[in-house]
Amino acid sequence: MKCPRCDGNKIEVIATSPVGNVWEVYECMDCFYSWRSTETPHIHDKFKLKKEQIDNLQVIPPIPPLDK
Amino acid sequence: MAKVYQDLRSFLSTLEENGQLVRIKEEVNPEPDIAAAGRAAANIENGPAVLFEKVKGYPYSVVTNVHGSWANHALMLGMDKTATTKEQFHEINRRWERFPVKPEILKREEAPCKENTIDKAEDINLFEILPLYRINDQDGGFFLSKASIITADPNEPDNFDKLNVGTYRIQVKGKNRVGIQALAFHDIAIQLEAAERKNEKVPICITVGNSPLVTYMASTPVMYTQNEYEFVGALQDGVPAQIVKSDLYENLYVPAGSEVVLEGYIEPRVREVEGPFGEFPGSYSGARRQCVITITHVTHRTNPIFENLYLGIPWTEIDYLMALNTSVPLYQQIKRDFPEVQAVNAMYTHGMGCIISTKVRFGGFGKEVAFRLLSTPHGGSYSKIIIIVDEFVDPFNLPQVMWALTTRVRPDKDVVVIPNCPGMPLDPSSYPAGMHSKLIIDATTPKDPEPNPREVELLEPPVGYEKYEALIRKLMSEM
Ligand SMILES: Cc1cc2nc3c(=O)[nH]c(=O)nc-3n(C[C@H](O)[C@H](O)[C@H](O)COP(=O)(O)O)c2cc1C
Ligand SMILES: [Zn+2]
Repeated sequence: MKCPRCDGNKIEVIATSPVGNVWEVYECMDCFYSWRSTETPHIHDKFKLKKEQIDNLQVIPPIPPLDK
Repeated sequence: MAKVYQDLRSFLSTLEENGQLVRIKEEVNPEPDIAAAGRAAANIENGPAVLFEKVKGYPYSVVTNVHGSWANHALMLGMDKTATTKEQFHEINRRWERFPVKPEILKREEAPCKENTIDKAEDINLFEILPLYRINDQDGGFFLSKASIITADPNEPDNFDKLNVGTYRIQVKGKNRVGIQALAFHDIAIQLEAAERKNEKVPICITVGNSPLVTYMASTPVMYTQNEYEFVGALQDGVPAQIVKSDLYENLYVPAGSEVVLEGYIEPRVREVEGPFGEFPGSYSGARRQCVITITHVTHRTNPIFENLYLGIPWTEIDYLMALNTSVPLYQQIKRDFPEVQAVNAMYTHGMGCIISTKVRFGGFGKEVAFRLLSTPHGGSYSKIIIIVDEFVDPFNLPQVMWALTTRVRPDKDVVVIPNCPGMPLDPSSYPAGMHSKLIIDATTPKDPEPNPREVELLEPPVGYEKYEALIRKLMSEM
């Protein structure tokens, strides 16, 4: 299975439905996109992520310097 | 004495008794049904809260649109559900004066939020406790959009005044891992920075499903040293909020009636991809690298109810939630220095649009009042379209505000733009994100020494109009 957002292949099952066996939830361990097996994710182009983009995303809030 | 709620459940009962809560008994799919109902409820005039009793694959129920109409908002305050927005504004201001009202600290065994405990991190599975779902189609995952989050100041951990209760979106990233959006100008970011400078974890409690005024105060911009629980007591007209100590942290207190309490810590100096998320400006905020929380302890009520909020193109539930709770603190902060100010309507997109009515003491006074708004902690970054009207204009009556604009404003001198000021980064017109220009429109009548060469006399209603208003209403109701 591939991540619908970043094409990464480190996908984990983070949940299975607590009642019945009706769905699972998957998460990409590269970009943390998550989706349910009952969904068909269609990520718009502007929200797709490449590895370089992930590394360069804005950091909120900025990390302050360590106290000396 | 106004009716007071110490938990979500008692408020849901009141909503139901007043025809302001509907139950969906049939099983629904998590996507897209729950979000779709949130949008639908917002489209309906005086829309109700919507309770989903059964969600496919989950054991518990979900409620949405709890704050999502003026009727629900009035009931939250214990007022009649027909109370107007302006009446509610003045009532909140009256109660505001009661601040601070010390909360009542319950014993652990008295607090409903402690009915069930999960004390091993490896036993925690958020999906077993909360019926999580996607809110907007392009959201990066499942979010808690309405949780009240409690943190303390790492440099003064026992200072109760600096205990912060705030609303920050939470993205679920695993059975016991979540992301949080802590924007730099909010209180939690001050605490986070102090801890990260020392490379220390930030103890945190995430509370879901609260009494309506706890949620309300969590998203109200009050000063850093003002405790939100002491405001809940004020807005409950003097009835203290009931709180209880967190299980993990001696100095953190959570609402005693919460449906679910997640306890853990923010990992210092770690940022991971979070978002996108459909945000209050009616568009998505993109993916960013934001903080991560590990949850190590959970308590919850038996059969917890997951309260969550839909956001769409305004107005939706979030707009009701942060309408008067933005207007009142701004009014209170400005009025302290300018008692001439009559009312503040900051209901548009969390105060990005703001209308202030004021008496005018001297020429240029309207602009001075606008500058004061722009020097409040919230108005400084959020407010960008500022309209100042005379004291006889009701800022909550938009047609009247348009009248003031069309008849009082001379664009060449009354409209100013101030470039390169702080801005609200989630506002898509802010560029670079976090910077903006400010527009001030002074629609007040000129006052000495500003010349007013064409002074006018305002029209007065004919004598006896009140009598006719009552008569016409009566005749209409009999038709
Ligand atoms: C439903 C809702 C969601 C919000 N989400 C966030 C958020 O993710 N991050 C944030 O910094 N502020 C968010 N806010 C705004 C703050 O909660 C609000 O401005 C509050 O006054 C902040 O208080 P503080 O300055 O005491 O932290 C949200 C508000 C509401 C009503
Ligand atoms: Zn991915």
